[in-house]
Amino acid sequence: MEIYLYTALFSPLVGSLITALFGASRKTYFTGILASGLLFASFVSSLILLTYVMAGHTVHVEMMTWIATGDLYIPFGFVVDQVSVTMMMVVTTVSTVVHIYSIGYMSHDKGFNRFFSYLSAFVFSMMVLVMSDNFLGLFIGWEGVGLCSWLLIGFWYHKESATWAANEAFIMNRIADLAMLIGIFMIYWNLGSLQYDVVFAHISSLPMPIITWIGIFLFIGAMGKSAQFPLHTWLADAMEGPTPVSALIHAATMVTAGVYLVVRANPIYSEIPDVGNAIASLGAFVAMFAATMALVNRDMKRIIAYSTLSQLGYMFVAAGLGAYWVALFHLMAHAFFKALLFLGAGNVMHAMHDELDPFKMGGLKTSMKWTWILMTLASVALAGIYPLAGFFSKDLILEVAFVEQHYILYTVLLLTAGMTAFYSFRLVALIFHGDKRHLEHGIHPHEAYTFMLYAMAPLAILAVIAGMVFKTPYYQMVTQLLPAVQYHIHNHTTFWIMTIGTQLFVILAIAYAYKKYAKAVKVDKKVESGFFYQLLYNQYYIPKIYDEVFSKPYLQLSKLAWKQIDLRIVDATVDGIANIIYQTGEKTHTMQDGNLSSMLRWMVIGVVVLLVLAVAFTAGYNAVNLRAM
Amino acid sequence: MQEHILSILIFFPALAAMLGFVVHKDSAKAYGITVAGIEFFLSLWLWHIYDPMTSGMQFMEMAPLVSAFGINYMVGIDGISLFIIILSAFFTLIGILSLTETRRVKDLILTLLFLEMTMIGVFSALDAIVFYVFWELSLVPMLYIIGAWGGPLRIYASVKFFLYTFTGSLVMLVGMLFMAYFYYQATGQWSFSLLEWYRLILPVNYQMWLFAAFFLGFAIKVPMFPFHTWLPYAHGQAPTIGSVILAAILLKMGTYAFVRFSLPLFPDATVAFMFPIAILAIIMIIYGAMVAYAQEDIKQVVAYSSISHMGVIILGTFALNVEGISGSVFLMIAHGVVSGALFLLVGVIYDRRHTKLMSEFGGLASVMPRYATIFGIMMMASVGLPLTINFVGEFLSLLGFYKQSHSYTLVAGTAIIVGAIYMLSAYKKAFFGPVTKEENKHLKDLNKTELYGLVPLVVIAIWLGVYPKPVLEPINNSVEAIVQLMHDKAQTPEAQKRIPNLAKTGTMNSVQEAH
Amino acid sequence: MELTLNHYLVLSAVLFAIGLIGVMRRKNLLMLFFATEILLNAVNVGMAAISHYRGDYTGQMFAFFIIAIAASEVAVGLGLLIVWYKRTGKIDLDQMTSMRG
Repeated sequence: MEIYLYTALFSPLVGSLITALFGASRKTYFTGILASGLLFASFVSSLILLTYVMAGHTVHVEMMTWIATGDLYIPFGFVVDQVSVTMMMVVTTVSTVVHIYSIGYMSHDKGFNRFFSYLSAFVFSMMVLVMSDNFLGLFIGWEGVGLCSWLLIGFWYHKESATWAANEAFIMNRIADLAMLIGIFMIYWNLGSLQYDVVFAHISSLPMPIITWIGIFLFIGAMGKSAQFPLHTWLADAMEGPTPVSALIHAATMVTAGVYLVVRANPIYSEIPDVGNAIASLGAFVAMFAATMALVNRDMKRIIAYSTLSQLGYMFVAAGLGAYWVALFHLMAHAFFKALLFLGAGNVMHAMHDELDPFKMGGLKTSMKWTWILMTLASVALAGIYPLAGFFSKDLILEVAFVEQHYILYTVLLLTAGMTAFYSFRLVALIFHGDKRHLEHGIHPHEAYTFMLYAMAPLAILAVIAGMVFKTPYYQMVTQLLPAVQYHIHNHTTFWIMTIGTQLFVILAIAYAYKKYAKAVKVDKKVESGFFYQLLYNQYYIPKIYDEVFSKPYLQLSKLAWKQIDLRIVDATVDGIANIIYQTGEKTHTMQDGNLSSMLRWMVIGVVVLLVLAVAFTAGYNAVNLRAM
Repeated sequence: MQEHILSILIFFPALAAMLGFVVHKDSAKAYGITVAGIEFFLSLWLWHIYDPMTSGMQFMEMAPLVSAFGINYMVGIDGISLFIIILSAFFTLIGILSLTETRRVKDLILTLLFLEMTMIGVFSALDAIVFYVFWELSLVPMLYIIGAWGGPLRIYASVKFFLYTFTGSLVMLVGMLFMAYFYYQATGQWSFSLLEWYRLILPVNYQMWLFAAFFLGFAIKVPMFPFHTWLPYAHGQAPTIGSVILAAILLKMGTYAFVRFSLPLFPDATVAFMFPIAILAIIMIIYGAMVAYAQEDIKQVVAYSSISHMGVIILGTFALNVEGISGSVFLMIAHGVVSGALFLLVGVIYDRRHTKLMSEFGGLASVMPRYATIFGIMMMASVGLPLTINFVGEFLSLLGFYKQSHSYTLVAGTAIIVGAIYMLSAYKKAFFGPVTKEENKHLKDLNKTELYGLVPLVVIAIWLGVYPKPVLEPINNSVEAIVQLMHDKAQTPEAQKRIPNLAKTGTMNSVQEAH
Repeated sequence: MELTLNHYLVLSAVLFAIGLIGVMRRKNLLMLFFATEILLNAVNVGMAAISHYRGDYTGQMFAFFIIAIAASEVAVGLGLLIVWYKRTGKIDLDQMTSMRG
């Protein structure tokens, strides 16, 4: 089985390195096909590993030593167990699809070869992240995906906004990574190892405050990668990258790494339910917070990004409440339909010549029938309508909140579900229905390449069946590792009222979205100039606040540190001392006026001073020594 | 030959430099490459015959110089010095290989060879006076390089560099003399041998004073805040080759000397000064990064980034446990490779445009893709991305200090944030965005000469990031010896508590047997 | 009244003081030489006296040395003085400032 593990892990790396060789040369389809082919190999290997794991085995290999000094021993070790194989399947499936899709999407781009190199490198990092058997290995992948995300957000590096967003994403992630490193330090100095099995076996022996702090620090790390409040602003800005990147990195895989970390570290979080509750509360807050911003946004990709943020909030609610398998399940389902949604958006962008404002589109369903169907499907799945994937995974989280008696969380999540449905279908309605507003801008849309649509097909199928078909086998497999808790509402009446109620609520929200946006779009000036609309439209002014409170003062402080402190104080002091010595020489060199008698006078003064000093010191020395005797 | 390998390593370049005066100036570069190449292969051979399992000094040589005062020519290496010596030989070779200077090339190359002697001398000396001699001698070629091939402010910069470091080392010399005097008082014999000094247990108040005297000399060399201001001038004015050697090797003398002198000689004072020095290190990290962020000149960004990284090295050294010290020694190598490469890269663009202001560039990524790629890799190594060389060192240094203090490490850990800020914004300014300046539109990408210098550095930066074991293992073994020595010598209860005892097994926890 | 060591030392000190004042005040080079001779001899007196009272003849030996050296010094000094006088016609100290720093 090891050979499959290594194939799954390293074939993306091989693909990345080979395509990197063509990085600076002219576009050739060979790179795209090669990278996709190697990813498919990785996907097949993961599939084989999945069947192996389903049969109840796990694979654990130690490739070689990485860092060993003192008592610290960190190998490159990889583990394929129930959790990591789930992630591997998600990552390889979505990334294979995205790779094939990108061959079409990027076909007119100069940086075609470079793009595939970065994209495959990302998949490799992500595989390292999910397959590592220790925290530092996870950290390699963690930073690796950060690097690839930086490269890919700033892929069109001539655009100021893209490079700015890339740097913002990297730096904000670094803030969280510091917390994660601290968490790793704490684990090492308290348990002497960073291997998952050792740590999880001994974690309960630690005193409570230490476990709590470990949990908090690791979670702050997760917050950065999963863009949870207050480190969320980078995700929306990351939409500057090419759309396949948004689909793969900023929807399906990388941003869910935080959820994966919490799920992976479930033995730690099971010890500290209070931190879990805090995580769940933050998750619910983010779910609602992001959904409200998506309600009014006028940028297609940002709307989907906020929806991702919101869904990540859902996952953290489940993980925080101890329903780790539910969180992982929603992660998987979400990856499928959200990637599909993004790829659909990519088709629309291509057709619209990179226009992102849905208010400038409309009526595309005639010219882009398949994209319309796929995106509607993905939106239905996202909204959580029976029997698509979202229903099984998202409603399950609502049930978890209900069963665990967190009714406030439940209410928040329910409201958010309504909002989700509303903004998803607001988008669909604006893009595909109503008047063809884009004609005013002289744009004549066309459907994407057929093979791109075929590439999206697996995701569409998964978005439909993932919930219905996979739930039971998935549950049986993954609960061999994760706590097996079934969340059933025992009272049948309550169960049915809740399920049907939720469904009705969501359908009403969809209907309202259609009613409001599917025909003619009426811009209500009064609402738009209102305080709440402006607040939401400006993302609660948080990016602005960050800019004013952190970025600008930091730059000013840095300038101050350089121009005032470094040059005016520290360096000036040094130069001052040197100058004093120099000036002393300048002033006193008149002593050397060459006049013998004045020089003799100075000599006499010198002798007298020395004599006085000698006598004084001798007296002093004697006095001290005599007293000592 | 094996028993005299260190002397050969030290004096071969100097001898070759003297012979080099008769070489014709057109063939000076070839001559320099040959000599530096032989020297580098000798240093690799040294690594080959070095026994990584032994923690003590190897290839020791001794010859009396002034026997009345116990001054001997004594050299020897352990795992800590081995790699810095290889790095010195390596960078001299790389430096000469990628030399683009055209004025008085022969003089420059001979100066570099002389400098190589002093560097290897410093890192292999086991006698305080020999150490001191090489330490001071290293100033001379550097002074000459900055003063003769530097920018417009070169005289000011070189004099500042010389006087500043010289003042510090004079105080250090006083410390050394007093140490020898104390040794004489204690044993009745004069000795400047470091290994003999190691055996001496000093009273704590003496340790404090001696530590302070040595500290001044080392801290200026590192350079530690607030003694750092010579560095930006030296880097700003030095030619590329000068900056490369200065950043890669000369700065390491300071941190190396901390490990070699301060820690094992004055364990109690080290523990007593640990937190004040940690505060200085944290100031270096954050303040250096902030000043780097404010720079307009890309070379100054790299120069101040050195201060920031040296802060992490100092912090790791004063972690006083094997993880931290090993990490800091490893980071010395790592920082040498990375900052050396970054200075070489800055030199590349300076050769083409004769300016280092970032506002003059922009969009270089599309004009010079290979250059941008290598710069990008080195930048990512500099911000400490895992699987690059810097990460191993930074991680271990911070991990080590975490044992001593949680809150300090949390603050110092911001290195990974502030480091990313200045590096990424500098990269963005220089490489991203549209090409705005007409002069930049037709810049040539890296040529062969430049690639010869840079590609090996990229390979090392990634190789040692993925597989640090060949370097880390010998370092670890030697560091363990030092830590144990410190623990055995520690007198104050504070020091005994802070410095771990390695002889006791299974002290740390019950899960040791897991690996 | 018996002559004790102190008397000699006082004499020596007084002579030394006279010499010192002479060295500082006199502008004439010849006078300066006189003053230096007084200084040297003040030391000689002290040495000889101490040597006598301690019964250790090293001091007297040194005094002889000093006398000899002073003599040769005067010889060289006077030679230089005469050369200088021949060149400038003056032996005023204030004009000899070629060593100005």
